[in-house]
Amino acid sequence: MSDITLIRAESVTTEPRLVRGVVIATVLALIAVLLFAPLIAVFAEALRQGWAASLEAFASADAQSAIRLTLIVAAIAVPLNAVFGIAAAWAITKFDFRGKAFLITLIDLPFSVSPVVAGLALVLLFGVNSSLGAWLVANDLKIVFAFPGIVLATMFVTFPFVARELIPVMIEQGRAEEEVALTLGASGWRVFFTVTLPNIRWALLYGVLLCNARAMGEFGAVAVISGKIRGETTTMPIMIEMFYNEYLSVAAFSLAALLALLALVTLTLKSALEWRHADLLAATRRH
Amino acid sequence: MHIEIDELAKEFGTERALHPVSLAIPSGALIALLGPSGSGKTTLLRVLGGLEFPTSGRVLFDGQDATGLSVQERRAGFVFQHYALFKHMTVFENVAYGLRARKRRERPTEAEIGRRVNRLLDLIQLPDIGARYPNQLSGGQRQRVALARALAIEPRMLLLDEPFGALDAKVRKELRQGLREIHDRTGLTTVFVTHDQAEAMEIADLVVVMSMGRIEQVGKPAEIRAKPASDFVRKFTEA
Amino acid sequence: MRASILRSPSPLPGFGLSFGIMMAILSIVVLLPIGALLGRGLMIGPADLWDMVNSRRIWSALSLSFRAALIASLFNLAFGLILAWVLVRYRFWGRKLVDAAVDLPFALPTAVAGIALTALYAPNGVFGQVLAPLGIKVAYTELGIWMALIFIGLPFVVRTVQPVIEELEREVEEVSATLGARRAYTLRRVVLPTLAPAALTGFALALARSVGEYGSVIFIAGNIPNLTEIAPLLIVIRLEEYNYDAAAAIGIAMLLISFAMLLAINLVQIWSRRRIGLV
Ligand SMILES: Nc1ncnc2c1ncn2[C@@H]1O[C@H](COP(=O)(O)OP(=O)(O)OP(=O)(O)O)[C@@H](O)[C@H]1O
Ligand SMILES: [Mg+2]
Repeated sequence: MSDITLIRAESVTTEPRLVRGVVIATVLALIAVLLFAPLIAVFAEALRQGWAASLEAFASADAQSAIRLTLIVAAIAVPLNAVFGIAAAWAITKFDFRGKAFLITLIDLPFSVSPVVAGLALVLLFGVNSSLGAWLVANDLKIVFAFPGIVLATMFVTFPFVARELIPVMIEQGRAEEEVALTLGASGWRVFFTVTLPNIRWALLYGVLLCNARAMGEFGAVAVISGKIRGETTTMPIMIEMFYNEYLSVAAFSLAALLALLALVTLTLKSALEWRHADLLAATRRH
Repeated sequence: MHIEIDELAKEFGTERALHPVSLAIPSGALIALLGPSGSGKTTLLRVLGGLEFPTSGRVLFDGQDATGLSVQERRAGFVFQHYALFKHMTVFENVAYGLRARKRRERPTEAEIGRRVNRLLDLIQLPDIGARYPNQLSGGQRQRVALARALAIEPRMLLLDEPFGALDAKVRKELRQGLREIHDRTGLTTVFVTHDQAEAMEIADLVVVMSMGRIEQVGKPAEIRAKPASDFVRKFTEA
Repeated sequence: MRASILRSPSPLPGFGLSFGIMMAILSIVVLLPIGALLGRGLMIGPADLWDMVNSRRIWSALSLSFRAALIASLFNLAFGLILAWVLVRYRFWGRKLVDAAVDLPFALPTAVAGIALTALYAPNGVFGQVLAPLGIKVAYTELGIWMALIFIGLPFVVRTVQPVIEELEREVEEVSATLGARRAYTLRRVVLPTLAPAALTGFALALARSVGEYGSVIFIAGNIPNLTEIAPLLIVIRLEEYNYDAAAAIGIAMLLISFAMLLAINLVQIWSRRRIGLV
């Protein structure tokens, strides 16, 4: 046996150890400063005067109505977007029709429109000085500065989330399973509920999760269309702004901490979904 | 260049890919590493090319210890089964890559690079495809470009890992002969991996039969046919 | 309707219903409002629109929004590439945590991010206190806007590039090494060009998002006209004055510039994808 001449065990497709170490350290430091610090700051500021003061913030009528409104808005906007997402994915992936690519672009449009511009567009459509708005007001249907407007604005900014998750997954799965089910005599709805839905359920959950996080946190579009009527059209993010501008820092950060907790729960569920059901989620994801 | 493999072993964790093996490859020979899947052919080739480093043992090039030599310093022209062409570069840029990657002092002038690339494209009998991108070529053309790219660095040896494995039978036969001709013209010590015994027997000067990380037999094709060293060799080469 | 829109018949049912639901919701939520905005612009007329946009305050706001978004997105392009590489190729303690945390900006409401960043970078904040003696002011300056936009745009490039790195063929990097290329040369000439189309997509998404960003910016920006006042804020101010035409004018300007940018980037991308055959 010749003596061991172990010179290097490093793979040729990686960077030198020193470079790797420096890069990892830099990345971790930047992540700590850019991502973790703001997150910690939310909780630190909320607890600046102790737990009692922080919890007291939730006792105020304003905070409670904001929480309630946020929950109700999400409870309406998210399912509607899920219905939209499912319908859009079904139409787009199961049928060939003219203008499909253009339609997909339109569905993606809200990603590249400023939330404030979205709010503005809704105000222009439904506001009193448009003909539609005037008619609505005459018939006692208030949309701008009212609950329906907030729902619409929330739907606008979260619009593509569910559809974006479902379309790639359904394209990958093809049409064969549904067609087989039809040949076996199943009705259309039965095919949907027993074949399609089980196949897309994790992707659907994933999309709903992201949609919900964004819905509960939407600020710009809601700020424009809600009119910020205290106790009436103030969602949690709007209430945070009001508290903050009134120098009620602990109250603002306590509400913010609640939303941050929601974000953490969302991230945890999302990661869990990705690790356990990676194969059933879309291959590429970007939001 | 004369290559000597001395008691070379390679482990991946607890997996023994190569038991200590020894082999001498005469200068200018065309050698086939033949064996079933998982027998360690690729591992041995990658160790020669400097893509993998042995757990123990030595590699000698022309009598000099080359075990710790980095891939870049080895100047081994390496050809992969799936071509590994640079998709975002034209054929010309692919072939010129190794020359342009050199340090400024050793880099040929652009005119010289152009001359050399064109000469190589002539050698692989594809003189007019310099401006194309790899996705505009057939599999056989891609593999020939990969060969030209490996030759461009004026390698000290040529290492090919199942170079024809991804091609259909007809193209395979053509390229086999092509490889033999290019080998004869350049005189480069050439090692190619295959699990197709007909391919090995047809063009190699020496065939190395491997099984389960060990070398079973080394010999000229006719010798191996006539006097298989073991049952395994006989079974594997008679098919 | 079915016959005229469908290209080829399908045995599957539900086209009319799903297409109908999709178009109805799409129209009410997205198309009609955007149409109303553009229609408003048509009613005002190009000349008057131009007059309304053509003021120093609006130009400063628009150029600030685009400049800050560009700077932040460029940072996120570089950092996102490195971060994606590190997450896929390196193994280190805490990798999965970092991987999960990358999506924090997607999940954290923008207003929450806004007040948190302000708390950190305000002169009496944790980072502000450290930076103040060095003469660096972040909160209530343009630097603060950059920080906010870096935060909200951080995940885009990482998430578009990551799957591409996962699918890179190692052999291509190996062949580069056998041809004599040093590692840095391989990264620059072989790896980076392969990641470029995906990176560009992520960059475009980050840019589009940060140009229109409002919630995370207004708290830290200071909102001084001509200096740190972003375009979306100007729309909000005009709306609060019930000056709908002026608000619409700025909104249309933002919309058009965003579309032009996205179009340009899409064209570059189609070109680069076609060239290397990844279509
Ligand atoms: N990077 C690696 N990590 C772990 N095990 C490996 C690695 N590379 C190879 N092996 C193992 O080493 C053994 C030899 O593999 P090798 O690739 O050399 O075989 P081969 O003869 O080239 O086979 P094939 O004809 O299938 O290409 C196999 O058992 C394989 O599983
Ligand atoms: Mg092999």
